[in-house]
Amino acid sequence: MSAPLWIPLTVGLMRFGLGWQIEGSEAVRSLYREMRRGHGGPLLVCANHLTLIDSALVAWALASPWWYLAHHSALPWNVPETQNFTASLPSRILISLMKCVPITRGSERQEVASVLARLGYLLSRGEAVLIFPEGGRSRSGRVELESAAYGVGRLVAALPGCRVLCVYLRGERQATFSDLPARGERFHVLVDVLEPTSELQGLRASLDLAQQIVRRLVDLERRHFDGRQ
Amino acid sequence: MSETETFDKVVKILTPHVKNQEALAAIGPETSILEDLKVNSARLVDVVLAFEDEFDVEIADDDIDEVNTVGDAVRLIRAKLG
Repeated sequence: MSAPLWIPLTVGLMRFGLGWQIEGSEAVRSLYREMRRGHGGPLLVCANHLTLIDSALVAWALASPWWYLAHHSALPWNVPETQNFTASLPSRILISLMKCVPITRGSERQEVASVLARLGYLLSRGEAVLIFPEGGRSRSGRVELESAAYGVGRLVAALPGCRVLCVYLRGERQATFSDLPARGERFHVLVDVLEPTSELQGLRASLDLAQQIVRRLVDLERRHFDGRQ
Repeated sequence: MSETETFDKVVKILTPHVKNQEALAAIGPETSILEDLKVNSARLVDVVLAFEDEFDVEIADDDIDEVNTVGDAVRLIRAKLG
């Protein structure tokens, strides 16, 4: 089974098998299509992170499975934690079918640099890449600025003109982090576009860029909860 | 500054970030910062920025890729100090 044909099956499972719905995705999809059409430069997608299948949920929020069939480069590559996806045969199959660049948390710096280089190459080729800039699922259930992973900033710093699509996605019953969302969950999605720049140099610039991205996610989270009061 | 002084300062900077106190008690040049000391990888950049401030050196993104052990950090700093 080729990967593109596998996408509608996954979305079908999420929508009809697990009863998940995403509210507000029409406007988000319209923006994403426009960004993909009108921008030849790198486009990095950065999202908050609460469940192990957030990559699939964010991809679903950004476009319909049918659109991905015709625009496969728009289906974001993602960077799963190796240990989370090698424990079982189904998850290993999943990771081999999806567009994945696995990473081992806490691995040697050379491996991290190699992953960042691969992601930079993919972005420079017009592929979409999805990263969770907090580095892992938020243990508090809220976006954590202090968790901003500097590698995201390093990736942006190496790609002049890189735009970042910040995505905040959360299920109504998602109190904190979990492996999977609840069955029948209804998600809400908000997005914002950012072109981060920094006056700083070296590591400080990378950290500054990463923090700008996470700060934007914090703003989106505030909007999410304000809108639900 | 001697190598021992550099090593001691590096250990002092690392200490607040160390989660494995046993490894800290037996720390040496071959001690891995992430695997042995269990320093959170997301915090490694804070450690390196503290190195920059303490030793008044500039460490590039690529340099950080070479830092796996305490000895690597000491060697990098001493190379920057000239």
